[in-house]
Amino acid sequence: MRRPEPHRPSSAVVCGIGAALPPRTVSNTDLAAELGTDDAWIRTRTGITHRHIAGTDATTEDLATRAAAHALESAGTRQAGALILATATPDHQLPATAPAVAARLGLTAIPAFDIAAACTGFLYALATAAGFIAGGTADMVLVIGADRISHLLDPGDRTTRPIFGDGAGAVLLRRGSPGEPGALGPLMLGSDGTHHDLLKAPHGGHLRMDGPALFRHAVDRMRSASQDAAHAAGWRTDDIDRLVPHQANARITNAVADRLGIPPEGRLQNIQHVGNTSAASIPLLLAQACADRRITAGHRLLLTAFGAGLTWGATTLTWPDLTTSQPPTSPAPENP
Amino acid sequence: MNSNLIRILHTGLNVTQESLQPDATLADLGFDSLALVELSMLLKEQAQIDISDTDLHQAGTLGAINGLVEQKLAEQ
Repeated sequence: MRRPEPHRPSSAVVCGIGAALPPRTVSNTDLAAELGTDDAWIRTRTGITHRHIAGTDATTEDLATRAAAHALESAGTRQAGALILATATPDHQLPATAPAVAARLGLTAIPAFDIAAACTGFLYALATAAGFIAGGTADMVLVIGADRISHLLDPGDRTTRPIFGDGAGAVLLRRGSPGEPGALGPLMLGSDGTHHDLLKAPHGGHLRMDGPALFRHAVDRMRSASQDAAHAAGWRTDDIDRLVPHQANARITNAVADRLGIPPEGRLQNIQHVGNTSAASIPLLLAQACADRRITAGHRLLLTAFGAGLTWGATTLTWPDLTTSQPPTSPAPENP
Repeated sequence: MNSNLIRILHTGLNVTQESLQPDATLADLGFDSLALVELSMLLKEQAQIDISDTDLHQAGTLGAINGLVEQKLAEQ
């Protein structure tokens, strides 16, 4: 383990990006008969037409491993000094899923652990990873968001089943300099447990949510966290080239972006094709938008999320010059 | 009808001018529960009028919602 040089400020810098989706897609039409609704009902209320569902084909570990392998490949390395997995759906109550992911990547001696902050988990994990780098615990940290929320859903609940999909996304962070492309800005995080019942899955039970109440909290919290993160980074909101919001619902994204004054072309979305993938949402969106060049080097990004807890957060990031590896549906490495 | 309400419905919630009739129901306007939360938030943010989405739902028609808006303004 290498210690940072004294009196030289360091930043956590994004240097690799990857994602993974289970191969099986489920369309609104596939769900319509079971839920007593139709494609238009789901699409107009959520902005979603398809989602990827893991079924029994892929565990959270599988999805996380594939996304992380792509992130390492994107960075041109096979090494990381720590691995942090944000997930609300670990494969076991005990142990955490992260050490198994690290082992499949050939990283058997590094710190690896899970973080549970629901849909905000990836931003919480970024903040933790930045702390590891600043404190000298690691020079390179894999940060993964992976969830299989489909396993928590009531098959007959049309308020939740059409919304959620499964997936994973990952970034590799390295030690770098403040202000260089890829350097994370200040991370604004928060929680309010007085509203924990608004989105909840009890042990062994199905996920339930109060959509209208969550909408109000999500818009208020993502707006204020975004404004705080932009201010802390020295940005005005009109400096933001791309808003990268957690993909909860297209209407939440638009309500947040309207209030921040971000025009439609600056609002990144992939919810139409993947649904709400919980902790995977932001890195999956980054990976896809990087692959199809909706984000390119130099774009100033504002990342913001909101989720169960309640939890929320935001940060800024000027996108670095990255190459993406395989498309996110390629197979997992079995023996890296 | 209240001009702030008309503006918010038209520009914030994409309700067409032709649909802005007092007897229009929430279903006529294409409003679901999230749309009522959006309307409640926009009334508060843009016109300082505090009406819950539950009260908007119970009002049932655009005319009745306008009545709630006028009542709130009279109380201010």
